[in-house]
Amino acid sequence: MNFWQRLKYLLPRFRDDEERDMQEELASLAAMAQRGELGNLTLAAEQRREAWGWTWLERLQQDVRYALRTMRKSPAFCVLALLSLALGIGANTVIYSFMDSILLRNLPVASPESLVLLNWHSKEPAGIRPNHVMHGADGSTWTDRNGKSSGIFPFGAFELLRKNDAIFSSLFAYYPTEKRTLAVKGQAEIATGEYVSGDYFRALEVPPAAGRLIFADDDRVGAPLVTVISMPLSERVFAGAANAVGQSILIDNLPVTVVGVTPPEFFGVDPDANPDFYVPLHANLVMDGTVSWAKTAKTYLDRNYYWIEMMGRLRPGVSRVQAQAALAPQFQQWVAATATNQRELDSLPALTLKEGAAGLDTLRRQYSKPLYVLWTMVGLILAIACANIANLLLSRSAARQREIAVRLSIGASRGRLIRQLLTESVLLAVAGGALGLLLSFWGVRFLTLLLGNGQENFTLRADLNGHVLAATFVLSVLCGAVFGLAPALQATRADIAPALTGNRVAAGTGHVGLGMWRLSLSHTLVISQIVFSLLMLVAAGLFVRTLSNLQTIRMGFNREKLLLFDVNARQAGHRDPEILAFYAGLRKRFAAVPGVRNVTLSHASLLGAGRRLELRVSGTPALDTWILNTGPGFFSTMQIPILMGREIDDRDQPGSPGVVVVNERFAKDHFGIENPLGRRLTLGGPHPRDMEIVGVCANAHYGRLKDDIRPVIYIPYNQGDYPRVQQMVYALRTSGDPRVHVNAVREIVRQADTRIPVMNVRTQAAEIDRTMNQEIIFARLCTGFAILALVIASVGLYGTMAYAVARRTSEIGIRMALGAQRGAVMRMILRQVLVLAAAGLAMGLPTALVASRLVESFLFGIKANDPLALVLAVAILLCAALIAGYMPARKAYRIDPLAAIRYE
Amino acid sequence: MDLLKGTLDMLVLKTLRLGPMHGYGIAKAIRTSSSDALEIEFGSLYPSLKRLELKGWVAAKWETSEHNRKAKYYRLTPVGKKQLQQEHSKWTGFVAAVSRVMEPAS
Repeated sequence: MNFWQRLKYLLPRFRDDEERDMQEELASLAAMAQRGELGNLTLAAEQRREAWGWTWLERLQQDVRYALRTMRKSPAFCVLALLSLALGIGANTVIYSFMDSILLRNLPVASPESLVLLNWHSKEPAGIRPNHVMHGADGSTWTDRNGKSSGIFPFGAFELLRKNDAIFSSLFAYYPTEKRTLAVKGQAEIATGEYVSGDYFRALEVPPAAGRLIFADDDRVGAPLVTVISMPLSERVFAGAANAVGQSILIDNLPVTVVGVTPPEFFGVDPDANPDFYVPLHANLVMDGTVSWAKTAKTYLDRNYYWIEMMGRLRPGVSRVQAQAALAPQFQQWVAATATNQRELDSLPALTLKEGAAGLDTLRRQYSKPLYVLWTMVGLILAIACANIANLLLSRSAARQREIAVRLSIGASRGRLIRQLLTESVLLAVAGGALGLLLSFWGVRFLTLLLGNGQENFTLRADLNGHVLAATFVLSVLCGAVFGLAPALQATRADIAPALTGNRVAAGTGHVGLGMWRLSLSHTLVISQIVFSLLMLVAAGLFVRTLSNLQTIRMGFNREKLLLFDVNARQAGHRDPEILAFYAGLRKRFAAVPGVRNVTLSHASLLGAGRRLELRVSGTPALDTWILNTGPGFFSTMQIPILMGREIDDRDQPGSPGVVVVNERFAKDHFGIENPLGRRLTLGGPHPRDMEIVGVCANAHYGRLKDDIRPVIYIPYNQGDYPRVQQMVYALRTSGDPRVHVNAVREIVRQADTRIPVMNVRTQAAEIDRTMNQEIIFARLCTGFAILALVIASVGLYGTMAYAVARRTSEIGIRMALGAQRGAVMRMILRQVLVLAAAGLAMGLPTALVASRLVESFLFGIKANDPLALVLAVAILLCAALIAGYMPARKAYRIDPLAAIRYE
Repeated sequence: MDLLKGTLDMLVLKTLRLGPMHGYGIAKAIRTSSSDALEIEFGSLYPSLKRLELKGWVAAKWETSEHNRKAKYYRLTPVGKKQLQQEHSKWTGFVAAVSRVMEPAS
């Protein structure tokens, strides 16, 4: 009640009434009392007003008004400060919103904190194969210093662990379907899906947006094929969730009934996946049985084949640690029984339970380290900006020394003055933060584009939510306090007497002497800016050098004027052996397009390939040989030179003798200086394929760009039945810009079979750029950041020196009057600049050497302490410092001694 | 004699037990009942009246005085009475404790 009473006081009318009432009361009391008996009535009235408890607000209002007034008086300072802050805070907001979406956000399901993710970890197996109980796998494993980890398990492990009713209220499994051809009403498109066990949706407690979700009864052998589709897909192809239920769609040419739609915010359990549809786990027997040799009934029984991923919902009261303690021995016992030899027993996988609230950590593993690096960079930018504003405030408060001294001497308390100065800086910071937020709005989109770099189904989404806004606000206020506090403390510490007498030399900010000067707060700030700028420059240098190293890698093939795209005829229903003729026919039609010089096809693009199969060279296994299934004319299209023999061409047909072309590295590894032509290789599989080496080609990059040249063999895609032909990547060598042929390509494929979509159209150059995406981003962003840092630091240096010259005008005038040369004066100023820069470098270089080790894993072709990057950074910094110092130095050069002395 | 911090409120409440009074009256009453030992500054008494009013311990109303003058009269509220009892017992405890220290029983 009395809070409302107090709140009312903020209304002007109520306050006026109250004031009148008080004055009347005081008048009536004064009439009763003797003259002077009541003391100072104005003070009493003032204190009575304070009793309402709103004085702080009034003072704040005053302070804000005062701050705005001083800001208006120096617009240049304000614009500069606001801009640098907005850039600093904006950049931080952008990176933070990405960190928030990747590292901090939970799955949009009921009570996500009770979800756990099942993983295993084992020692890195040593020695010859088989050396790990995982004989075959479909899914990702990752290796670190401590060994191998993964989230994929044999189906048997799932059956074993889900019996733990006391621990899990539910344990569910899933695995991605990868790209599928989805056809609705004759329209084909590419979609990704997720196989889910019958308990998946029940355990995640997701309500359907329409229809129903998948039940346990759907997930059994022989059940009718049903699917649940995502909200975006339902809107795209059925114009709404309600229309989708009950419809039939074709997934890889198989009719499937849509029974329901997931809610709009649901994206599965992997923030990186975002499936378009969900199908029951056991549907893979029908959907994959004809396509893949791995996903058959056998996969459910093979205890050494790892493919299924698991997540569980813990019962209330069961902790993750307890659950792990109970489950690990069960798994240990089960998995030990699957080992076939001692080496496998030595590196058995051990079960670990991880927090599942945020879903799978695919994105986190991929982006957390680069984001931390970027975060450090934007943090440094903000630090430089803050140091800069602190410095500008410092020189301004020094200019206001006299005013402050006057106020202190007439009784203003120091705390009050500091509060006033702080109000100003916090106000600046909040305004800068607001501006930064505006910038970050575009920044997030820009960075999303940059990170996505044209990937079709890029899943990383960041937005400016409540968290991010709150973090930005806190950051702004903190910045304001940080860059405002030091100058405010320094300004109010001043001795009153010299400031009042107008002695400009002595009233300085700390350095009094004439020649030698002491290290003041302002210099410390300038030096720290130089240190930070140096760090940024070194980082930029390292990343730019890394990028240029990557860009100058010799590919071994001609990347220019090459169009690539994927076609998957098997998913549209084509079968052996007709599919071979279909792919060959397409190639002929592409070749007939005017402007296309050469056409070929392969099971994957050179940089996207990664196929290893069992291979023998005259009976002995050739480990680590990589394979590319190619069509005729591959080498002439890619322009990979044939060193000996011939390339694969139209002579090599399904019925003709098996041939193979090997690369130089393979030939050297296996035959040394002997002639490899005519030697025979055997490819494993159900029906071993015998091949004769008919050619040796020059080395070309295969797989990851950063890796060394691998031993590769090229075999005709149309010979033998192993490995089975699936998707093919066509490569068109054109005489002009390859992108003009995209429409012709789509039209040809549509005419050949309307069920087949053309996927992943890109130029070879773009594909290469995409593999360097992270390096390109780092190089560009870091260069941008470094330039920004350098500009801000230079402005800071300029401001400090300009202020120093202005303050020492009379001193310099006297020196000149006493015979100092103008050149000597100028040199004196420049020497100070260089001393500051040198101090910054002396501290910055060791820091840079240590810090660059942290980004070593991002570098390619250079060491962390790359001398060129260091030297360049130092040179650029010194140049910038000299330029920043030159203008104040010239001003000192032009000082008229007479005018300067007279001013005093 | 200077007042201990926080005792002014208690003195005002105690004085108002005698009946409604205006601001000048309260100051005079405290001085009289303390036999002129406590000199209450009007400058601190006056704001404290507003504080007590905002806390709901006293209520204020314009009335006409015995000399036919208009004045604002302050009156103790029931909440104020309870508050006074509390403050009083706290004060008694405080005085007793201080006395025990200053004049230990020998």
